Amino acid sequence: MADIFDRFAGLMAQRDALFGDGGRDPFSVTMTEVLSQTEAMIDGHRTILVGTNNYLGLTFAPEALAAAHAALDAGGTGTTGSRVANGTYSGHTELEQALREFYNTKHAMVFSTGFLANAGILSTLMGPDDFILMDADCHASIYDGVRASAAQIIRFKHNDAADLDKRLARLADKPGNKLIVVEGIYSMLGDMAPMKEIAAVKRKHANTYLLSDEAHSLGVLGKYGRGLPEQEGVEEDVDFIVGTFSKSVGTVGGFCVSNHPQFNILRLVCRAYVFTASLPPAVVAAAKVNLGLIHNGGALRTRLMRNARHLHTGLSELGLKIASGVSPVVAVVAPDPQVAATFWRGLLDAGVYVNLALPPATPFGYSLLRASLCAVHTEEQLDEVIAIFAGVATSLGLIEPHRKRLAAG
Amino acid sequence: MAAGQHNEPSPETFAALYELIGTFNKTGAALAPETRFAEDLNFDSLIVMEFVASVEDKFDISMPLNILPDILTIGDFGVALEKLLSER
Ligand SMILES: Cc1ncc(COP(=O)(O)O)c(C=O)c1O
Repeated sequence: MADIFDRFAGLMAQRDALFGDGGRDPFSVTMTEVLSQTEAMIDGHRTILVGTNNYLGLTFAPEALAAAHAALDAGGTGTTGSRVANGTYSGHTELEQALREFYNTKHAMVFSTGFLANAGILSTLMGPDDFILMDADCHASIYDGVRASAAQIIRFKHNDAADLDKRLARLADKPGNKLIVVEGIYSMLGDMAPMKEIAAVKRKHANTYLLSDEAHSLGVLGKYGRGLPEQEGVEEDVDFIVGTFSKSVGTVGGFCVSNHPQFNILRLVCRAYVFTASLPPAVVAAAKVNLGLIHNGGALRTRLMRNARHLHTGLSELGLKIASGVSPVVAVVAPDPQVAATFWRGLLDAGVYVNLALPPATPFGYSLLRASLCAVHTEEQLDEVIAIFAGVATSLGLIEPHRKRLAAG
Repeated sequence: MAAGQHNEPSPETFAALYELIGTFNKTGAALAPETRFAEDLNFDSLIVMEFVASVEDKFDISMPLNILPDILTIGDFGVALEKLLSER
């Protein structure tokens, strides 16, 4: 008789081929002590963290720590209830007010994670006669959301506004509403949406709305950190922004903001909002404080981009292939999953933590060593990271030893 | 998709599908109505996406992702395609 787990046999074989020898694997990395935003003890070794999405380094912001401590003592460790039951404290409504002020929108809704915000909004917003047009490289939470939607789902080619335009034109005679879904910065490769062109395509077609997931661009792009729409000057065209507190905001939680006058009806119908417990008070307090720090965080963004440029330049000068231009996500492309896994282990053993990302979770079937920068990485840390990359890549035969010296000298 | 529920796709539909599938068929498996995309042709999600896009462009239609889970064979695809064409 078939075992209930038999259907995972292929995946288990793949996992065992890559990691079955008992060495370190990405599924069991444990930070035994967090030393700072950029360093932790992993298996007893001091390790530089270059894969945490902690873009601005706000996880230990003193103002947020103080607010979180106070909220914890005042409100307890959890709300034990959904936002529409006993789980809305004044902290939650203040955080929504802070989001409205941050984005200058009429409405804001706080979810318990960014995953739930995407899944909740996208599964609910559109009906059976409607169409969702999503970028093919969208995040898993967007895929899960649209899969649960009654709408017709159409993918367009990654970052290809002309392809989107063509697909919208084909739907011109269909009566339903259309929702375009993109991300500001795509998580795996760190590339940005052509937001101006997408906004122009949206304006061209009737009954067409635009949602942007700003998970990786909140706090990172724009003078005031409002993400790619702010940087590109098209905020008026973006009808819904979804975001997370789990990256630059340095805690956990998700949200959606919008100017649509009827937006609040979603509080009654989004199951991922109604049927899950709300964020604990300490998290809510920290998120609110850090949103303020992000609004005034121009100096942090400058440091983040300087660090991004430093790592991108350093790694490409070694002769490594980087998947996209300068961005706070620096994804090094390895030739295949086996080499990527060995590379990843070599880096970790030498004291550098990055994310290992393998197909089918990656665009183009890439095998990636995905690094993400933090504003508070020091130049010395990044030079050490580059040197360790050089050593491991040389030992794997991926780069010529002399290129390293050329780059360094 | 249960057999007998829909008319058999036309020879022209099959000819067009075989031609489009040919550019993505790295297995060299023979193409017939009962050929399966995943098992026989080794189509993964990336190839499916590109193949569907090529069908959309050739026939100037939209093929929503929602219909894909029910499609196992080239014959299934032909039935779904003709249904979309008839609704145009
Ligand atoms: C693009 C994108 N959207 C949404 C999420 C989900 O965010 P959260 O960690 O808050 O669930 C992530 C993070 O994993 C992401 O990368």
